[in-house]
Amino acid sequence: MSILSKMLKKKHQRRQSDNYRQILDPLKPDDLPIDRDVQMNIKHLQEEMGNSSDLVIRQIKIGQIGGALAYIDGLVDGKGISDYILESFTETKQISEESDLFQFVMDKIVAVGSIRTIRNWNALFDALLSGCTVIFLNGYSKALSGETRGGDRRPIQEPSQQLSIRGPKDAFNETLRTNTALIRRRIKSPNLWVETMKIGTITQTDVAILYVKGIANEEIIQEVRDRLHRINIDSIIDSGYVEQSIEDQTFTSFPTTYHTERPDVVASQLVEGRIAIVVDGSPFVLTVPAVFVQFFQAPDDYYSRFDLSTGIRVLRIIAFFIALIGPSLYIAATTFHQEMIPTTLAIAIAAQRENVPFPAFVEALVMEVTFEILREAGLRLPRAVGQAVSIVGALVIGQAAVQANIVSPMMVIVVSITAIANFSTPVFAMAISVRLLRFVLMALAAFTGFYGIMIGLMIMAIHLCSLRSFGVPYMAPLAPFNTENQQDVFIRFPIWAFKNRPQFISKGNTVRTGSNQKPAPPSQNVKESQNSEGKKS
Amino acid sequence: MEKAKISARQLFVLVVLFEMGSAILVGYPVKLKQDAWIAILLGMAGGILLFLVYYRLFLFYPNLPLTSYVQFIMGKWIGRFIGFFYIIYFAYLAARVLRDFGELLTATVYTQTPLFFLMALLILTIIYALHKGFEVLARVGELYFGVVYFIAIGGFFLLIFSGLIHLENLRPILENGLMPIFKSVLTQNLTFPFGEMVVFTMVLPYLNKPEKVKKVCISGIILSGINFTIACVINIATLGTGLFIRSPYPLLSTVSKIELANFIERLDVLFMLYLIIAGFIKVAVFTYAAIIGTTDLFQFQDHKKLTLPIGLFILLTAMMIAKNYAEHIEEGLRVVPIYVHWPFQIIIPLILLGVAYFRNRHNQQEAVSIK
Repeated sequence: MSILSKMLKKKHQRRQSDNYRQILDPLKPDDLPIDRDVQMNIKHLQEEMGNSSDLVIRQIKIGQIGGALAYIDGLVDGKGISDYILESFTETKQISEESDLFQFVMDKIVAVGSIRTIRNWNALFDALLSGCTVIFLNGYSKALSGETRGGDRRPIQEPSQQLSIRGPKDAFNETLRTNTALIRRRIKSPNLWVETMKIGTITQTDVAILYVKGIANEEIIQEVRDRLHRINIDSIIDSGYVEQSIEDQTFTSFPTTYHTERPDVVASQLVEGRIAIVVDGSPFVLTVPAVFVQFFQAPDDYYSRFDLSTGIRVLRIIAFFIALIGPSLYIAATTFHQEMIPTTLAIAIAAQRENVPFPAFVEALVMEVTFEILREAGLRLPRAVGQAVSIVGALVIGQAAVQANIVSPMMVIVVSITAIANFSTPVFAMAISVRLLRFVLMALAAFTGFYGIMIGLMIMAIHLCSLRSFGVPYMAPLAPFNTENQQDVFIRFPIWAFKNRPQFISKGNTVRTGSNQKPAPPSQNVKESQNSEGKKS
Repeated sequence: MEKAKISARQLFVLVVLFEMGSAILVGYPVKLKQDAWIAILLGMAGGILLFLVYYRLFLFYPNLPLTSYVQFIMGKWIGRFIGFFYIIYFAYLAARVLRDFGELLTATVYTQTPLFFLMALLILTIIYALHKGFEVLARVGELYFGVVYFIAIGGFFLLIFSGLIHLENLRPILENGLMPIFKSVLTQNLTFPFGEMVVFTMVLPYLNKPEKVKKVCISGIILSGINFTIACVINIATLGTGLFIRSPYPLLSTVSKIELANFIERLDVLFMLYLIIAGFIKVAVFTYAAIIGTTDLFQFQDHKKLTLPIGLFILLTAMMIAKNYAEHIEEGLRVVPIYVHWPFQIIIPLILLGVAYFRNRHNQQEAVSIK
């Protein structure tokens, strides 16, 4: 056995080192240098791309020397190319003879912001396919790429998933650059660092890591970097691909990375010392490390006053538990612990259930499954049909099922409350995990009542305590308990009382507020300042 | 030994939950009637003294569990022999607590459910937790500590508001003099639950700050002792001595008396919640000690392989140790404290301490400097 494990280990190591080489080394083995002849280059380009129709190649001439210009239609800003590249090419008549032509084109003709020299084909394709315009000149075995990204993109719109009453209304879109800009607009500090890499052997998707240097924990940053570099798959279509490739544990229904479409949330988390991962083509930005309590913090909590937000947060936690154990409590109480229901209510429930032929568990299962199907169907249905289905669903759940004695009215109430409670979890990934666990707890309740539910919750607690997100215990700051970081768990302290950053994330630089931040009426402030001045003198 | 590190707070929480554990359910010296709480307080004092013995042993060998240093003290073979018996002792106690727990459930709520099934569910949960490691167990303890205190304080206020507490039930104090109390302390209250701290000799090396062991453990014993005493006083004050003596589970009887505003009543479920948490922590700590002792003594690489077999062994033992609850509780109150607890909690540790003292008298300074 040990030989086998050794062999596996060796193979694993070899594979890992291969990955590093492939990603870190820009010169791949089949990388060819660019030819001196423009026509040869054009031919090579067309051959490599199979004469794709969106590849635009335009011959140009500058002085006596021929050249060519290539870009991908749709990825570039057409107006920019015609204004700042083509126009200056056609208008330029004089060329100073002694200077290097390539340098001349670079300095004087191509009037775009970012410009680069390219010497081999892989880099050229990278540039071309990410929206740059490439210029070949006869007699030079290098090419020039000018930044002309453009084309149609979705504008910045309001968030569609994580809504808030108060607070910024912009959301990320599918463009990496727009997304990083939205974050940088909120953190105007040179310490906000952006690292970019390409992941996906075919899709070559840009992935950016953002963090605030000096606050974020260096070890975690390195861990994120390592895990991203380790990814070796053909495609990254959405940030979900990245999430599933870098999370600590696959076999858990709880999300160990946080995702959001709100730049304000990302900005506040970056300042707390977390690390954001922006994936090109995905409007959801990942932040790590994620802890359990974070999934109960909605952006609204911080924009309204602390007493109200605390109340709402407690409500949200209660709703989480209702969504988790609502139906199972009903099953347990009606099957095993009738004595715990107040007598009148118990009689009412018994009267309702008189004509229902199924045990409570089956009844609950039927209703829950029906509801889950309706919910899933409502998500996928075309808008026009959606309304019809919701009417049918309401009738099926509400009216007909009760009249046909398939379920009792009490069950309808329980299932509806559970379903609505589930929507109050701010992050969908956590809500959906509860949906799954609910069924397990229902089964346990059907077998052993409250004891089963408690055993289920206990196993859940053990599981949660064993999880880690990028090395940070998932249940922090509850377990391990940290007294300094309780200001944002159950009770959201006033903003001026947020004295520390979460210490389980950022090490060292954790002080957030200056001293004496508590607002007070003016007279008191004057007195205090006089006092302190008096002390000084 | 596993490569785990726990904080002082986590150890404290484990000590408190462990000590309160099943004692608060079944450990009352009911024969003393209204003086039961005095015996508990004296037992706590004795428990602190006993812990100081274990603490001295820990100071001699701060990086080793009991099963390892017993080999240094008594020599390789005798040491291993004693270590092996300690493993059996821990496993037996785990089985006893598991049986307590199962009997309580079958006696109160699950009269139709097989005992084996109820105990199997709990032991499987524990096996899962121990498979994840001791750090996870400590974190779960921390998480549930808040829940337990929430229940305890809530229940306390509900009892007061229901007007159930009649402190006159505590009188007359010392009706029969001190002798019965001392007898009860020595035969029962000292060893259960306070002497059971001996199991922590297996996990003390995990603490990340060894200098805090004494403070943490003793404050944990004191807090749990006070809680236990308060629970005892409340039980007597609520039930009166007559019911207190007869009730198999005084705390359950007390809790089920709560009735407030015709709405808050039948709070047995709170009791059950406490029962499961306490049972979990206590059985888990004993099982872990047995597992880690076996790992250490038989030099297994990884304790994870042993969690399932030893867990199932404990489950089967719990099924076999008694025919029924009466036999089980009689053994637990009469036989076990004198013939099992006394040797393992008091006599052997004292002998070990004596021998260790003579062995280490030359490098005494070294041992003290760790403190």
